[in-house]
Amino acid sequence: MEVGRLPISASQRGKLIAAGYTTLSSFSSLSPSHLARDLKISDNEAAEIMRVASHSRRLDGSAGGCGTVNGAQTAWDMLHEEEMFPRITTSCVDLDNILGGGINCKEVTEIGGVPGIGKTQLGIQLAINVQIPVDYGGLGGKAIYIDTEGSFMVERALQIAEACIEDMSECGGLLRKDFQACQLKMHPNNILENIFYFRVCSYTEQIALINYLDKFISEHKDVKIVIVDSVTFHFRQDFDDMALRTRLLSGMALKLMKLAKDFSLAVVLLNQVTTKYIDGSFQLTLALGDSWSHSCTNRVILYWNGNERYAYIDKSPSLRSASAPYSVTSKGIRNSASNCKRIKMM
Amino acid sequence: MAPLKSLEQDYPILDSNFQSFCASHDIFSVEDLLLHDLYVLAAFAEQESSSERLKRGITQVLSIIDGQHQPWLNGMELLEDVQRNKHVLSTGCDGIDLLLHGGLRVGQLTELVGPSSSGKTQVCLLAASNVAKKHIGSVVYLDTGNSFSPQRVTHFICQHSDPAIDQAEHRTLQKVMNNISCKSVFDIFTMFDVLHQLEFNLRSQMQGGDCKVQLLIVDSVSSMVTPILGGSGSQGHALMISAGYLLKKLAHEHNIAVLVTNHTVGGDGGISKPALGESWKSIPHVRLLLSRDHGGSICNVSILKHPSMVESFASLFTMCAIDLPLSLSLGFSITPFTPYGISFFFIHPF
Repeated sequence: MEVGRLPISASQRGKLIAAGYTTLSSFSSLSPSHLARDLKISDNEAAEIMRVASHSRRLDGSAGGCGTVNGAQTAWDMLHEEEMFPRITTSCVDLDNILGGGINCKEVTEIGGVPGIGKTQLGIQLAINVQIPVDYGGLGGKAIYIDTEGSFMVERALQIAEACIEDMSECGGLLRKDFQACQLKMHPNNILENIFYFRVCSYTEQIALINYLDKFISEHKDVKIVIVDSVTFHFRQDFDDMALRTRLLSGMALKLMKLAKDFSLAVVLLNQVTTKYIDGSFQLTLALGDSWSHSCTNRVILYWNGNERYAYIDKSPSLRSASAPYSVTSKGIRNSASNCKRIKMM
Repeated sequence: MAPLKSLEQDYPILDSNFQSFCASHDIFSVEDLLLHDLYVLAAFAEQESSSERLKRGITQVLSIIDGQHQPWLNGMELLEDVQRNKHVLSTGCDGIDLLLHGGLRVGQLTELVGPSSSGKTQVCLLAASNVAKKHIGSVVYLDTGNSFSPQRVTHFICQHSDPAIDQAEHRTLQKVMNNISCKSVFDIFTMFDVLHQLEFNLRSQMQGGDCKVQLLIVDSVSSMVTPILGGSGSQGHALMISAGYLLKKLAHEHNIAVLVTNHTVGGDGGISKPALGESWKSIPHVRLLLSRDHGGSICNVSILKHPSMVESFASLFTMCAIDLPLSLSLGFSITPFTPYGISFFFIHPF
């Protein structure tokens, strides 16, 4: 039935079908008041239904080229577009190498690990690294940090920002001696100003915020990364209705994907771990279950290997599975200090 | 089917006289007419003054109804259609092709089920690049998870040489990649719009040539359906089934192979089962289960459902290595084995 594909409420759809209108063309020539009388609904509702139907009909009839759909891009165009968007560096060379240069825009990356491995540190580092000016190879954008656990420490962010500026001046001093004039006027306070911080305390707030981000980002067009730390916290406890949880989570995942694609920004979701019984042994997997594991484009798992912190690419459409060591220092995320610099291929 | 009064514009014989006659018998829409006993209605029409017009009106409505269903086909016509139009598209991976007796069949809906990171998107990308490269046709890729990776497609197309070094290679690469169009869809209503648009375009364009769509990939249909499935109403269910039927209709009428991906959820006893439930199970023609050993690069493919293969014998395993930048390759040996007079092939790797 054609009216089944209209985004209207179930009761309105039921009334349409009961009155005999099962195709879009059957009521398109009616006036809204006529339809309202037939369906016994208000004029406004009828006008809304007709608007939605005519929008769908218009889309149907619009000509695309060569059997393709409107709004589709060819793979060739997408390949060249990708080259235009630089990646967000993590300040650790090994980690950047296995990520193909850093965190990619237009994709949702999920990073998970045991408590204390450095997820929040990585989140703060990315929020600062996205602000590296274009001259220094960064994006020059702003960051949105959504904190669900309360683990964002401003003093730590200040420390990392100062270290980042130091690194940039060293780099600038080495490479561009003649650029002293336009030396970065960046001050740690400027960096902190460009991080938009939201604190959410319940899952409804989280979902409401993600719905609101669409409007927020249209007003602040230079936001280039959205970090959610952590996305699972409010969904893990006290949820009676598991089916509702699955629906909410998958709806949220789709909205985040849409944000990433429409505004060309990177979305980083930090997740916690749980144990799962696979193949006769208990293994650590990311929280929220099987359906959530399909809601990201890339997945990176952080784990301990002896005394070292390692990152492992678990899922990616274009990156090879590999792991790399990194360390958390007072300056933020940096290369691991150990001598073994080889990247292990899995 | 519309109420009778809205048909008056297109069919002037169904005028207000006819409508009031029908209304006196409680018939307001075409559906009501179908439910009514037509002989009795005709007998009543005889007694009216304008009986000829009324009977012509009834015949008109019946012919409108007749125009709504698909034409009848006999077995010979079906066989001719299959032999002429419904050929097989190779997926690019020899193992999967062997399992499917050639590859993805045009006119059928093939589903890839598997847990996260088991290679579903990779198979979709490989099939897309293979169809664009080898067959004269284009590919439409609907992506819900921003996982369409043009670099990976480039790897698959230019396997033996460095991309973009040779001028001629560059031009072929461009031509092949222009055959793949990708659109991001993030909810099921957008997907409906896109599919209806595609149907309209396919119906109105001339067939043949480079522009003909051969393969439609939806990756993944489960992430679009999961937010609306369940809950208090059954609208989500209805939308899922309509989407499935629309995909199958596109496949059959316009000679396209459709490939969709689905994920797994935990079932009873901790064994994972495909998502989307029991009603979705009957919609795809072919269901393949993919799985990958934890941390390994070897994937297993097995058949869950196939219209012409017996699946109790089909824990047929085929191994393909997914390794950048090499293409998918396979090592296997075949022994024919004939129990109970049914012949099938048992494939195992060496």
